[in-house]
Amino acid sequence: MRTDVQRLLPRWVQAAVIAVLLVFVMTPVLYMLFASVNDDLEVARGAFWPTSLHLDNYAKIWSTVELGAGLANSVVVAGSVALVSALVAVATAYVLVRFQFLGRGLILRGLLALQSIPGTLMLLPVFVLFANLSAVLGMQVIGTRWALFVTYLTFALPFSTWVMVTYLRGLPAELDEAARLDGASSWRILRSIIIPLSWPGLVVASIFAFLLGWNDVLFASVMTNPDSRTVAVALQVFGATQEGGAIPIYGQLMASALICALPVVVLYLVFQRFLVGGLTAGGVK
Amino acid sequence: MAIETVAPPAARDSNPGPPPRRRNRNRPLWMLAPGGILLVLVILVPLGVALTVSLLDLDQYTLREWTGAPFIAFDNYVEAVTDTALPHAIWVSVGYSALVTVATLPVGLAAALATQQRFKGRALVRSAFLIPYVLPAFVVGTVWRTILMPAGPANSVLGEQHLWLNGPNSYWTLVVVQLWTSWPLLYLLAASGLQSISEEVHEAAALDGAAWWAKLRYVIFPHLRGVLALALIIAFLHNLNSFTLPYVLFGVPAPHDVEVLPVLTYVESFQNFRFGLSAAMAVLSLVLVAIPLSVYLRAVRLNQHEN
Repeated sequence: MRTDVQRLLPRWVQAAVIAVLLVFVMTPVLYMLFASVNDDLEVARGAFWPTSLHLDNYAKIWSTVELGAGLANSVVVAGSVALVSALVAVATAYVLVRFQFLGRGLILRGLLALQSIPGTLMLLPVFVLFANLSAVLGMQVIGTRWALFVTYLTFALPFSTWVMVTYLRGLPAELDEAARLDGASSWRILRSIIIPLSWPGLVVASIFAFLLGWNDVLFASVMTNPDSRTVAVALQVFGATQEGGAIPIYGQLMASALICALPVVVLYLVFQRFLVGGLTAGGVK
Repeated sequence: MAIETVAPPAARDSNPGPPPRRRNRNRPLWMLAPGGILLVLVILVPLGVALTVSLLDLDQYTLREWTGAPFIAFDNYVEAVTDTALPHAIWVSVGYSALVTVATLPVGLAAALATQQRFKGRALVRSAFLIPYVLPAFVVGTVWRTILMPAGPANSVLGEQHLWLNGPNSYWTLVVVQLWTSWPLLYLLAASGLQSISEEVHEAAALDGAAWWAKLRYVIFPHLRGVLALALIIAFLHNLNSFTLPYVLFGVPAPHDVEVLPVLTYVESFQNFRFGLSAAMAVLSLVLVAIPLSVYLRAVRLNQHEN
């Protein structure tokens, strides 16, 4: 009884809830896994269980879709967004947490509000501004990875900064105040005290920024050309062209979907503990 | 929103002096510049452009010189409300978002309650629960699209031919798939709320000898009310703004029953090239989002010590 004080549900209810939810969650995931190693025609016929093992789906996809180029574009863009946004976020958060100034509360609220701006509202004006920038610079902007990088970087900032704000609040201010008394400049404090101490927060901020870039379809669908296409758009186009095609290759489609999901799932599994904390911090605190 | 982009560089102060925290000098406001400039240039300026464009008769012919497009004041808004699918799209978006949000509550809460106590394999179950949330929306859309295609496994299990991605069923498809992918957020937030309930509360309830549902009803749920209310607003906002899932799941132009606001706005711009009209729709969707958002911002505490 004593160890059972925290029990909230009777054992059978608990078991039933977990079983039902596991089936609900895992059925589509297992389908993706099974179909990815199944014969294309079997999948098109609606089979759930693979009748024969077709690991060659994973070899064929690279020539069927521009998956390799898409992955490279996504890794480069999302990776650099992750790195840069965490650094910009920690600098902004440091000032917001440690100093009082006019407009501070407004910025903090703004960071939360900006996370909820509909992407569809921003797409057209960002597109128009980049088009005008092309005219000014005399070079192509839309269709380059740079355009995506700048866009994702900015849209990642409100959340990344908020994550860092919550993280830095947990760091004792005495450390950097002592350094300040020793005459260290703010830049020095940020570089040699704040950043080394806040790497778990930086990891969370980076990963969410990475996911924003990796998962986006909205901006990438109008701001890329076939050369700079991210893997998200490559998969979406692949899926959309299956219908009405002569020979639908759904097995390969599921294999590609799995490849697209893999980096994200691996990142999540490796950093799970940090991420769950970061998510709830970003969401509610 | 005033982000200090033109903050003066911090004066170098060689004598240490008292802690500068509450002093006016030595605040490195210039460190706000990189983030501030980006946010202004890529979010605030485009917001202004969106508002301007919504007042112009802008289409693919006038796009190149967009500032010279004819000014038509609020005609785009009038047209959006009276002569497009916008009211229908708002109805669909709000309706399905609310349905999904309400449905995630019991699912997420049950999951949090069931995994609160330690048991063998709990870590594995928790990881599995988060998979739908972690998978990119474009992958979720692609997989469910394949499951629900006319000759797909859903119909072959049922042994009947249903249309899931078109017609009236598509609405429920959207509800179920969005529920599938979004309930773990509520689960996470509920679980973190449960963890903050102290041991004493559990013990007090156990001493009373309360039945499990009575304990939930009178002890646990009241403690979670605040967390859950916020979680519901976040989930609702998230559903309302969701573009990728309906876009990948149903394609464009969307079937009438799942013509959600973000997809409608997108199609109006990048398929019909009615940029002005689309901007007006986008501004109206911002107004719609602002309602739950303002509730959220009011409820959130900005400072730890602010109570």
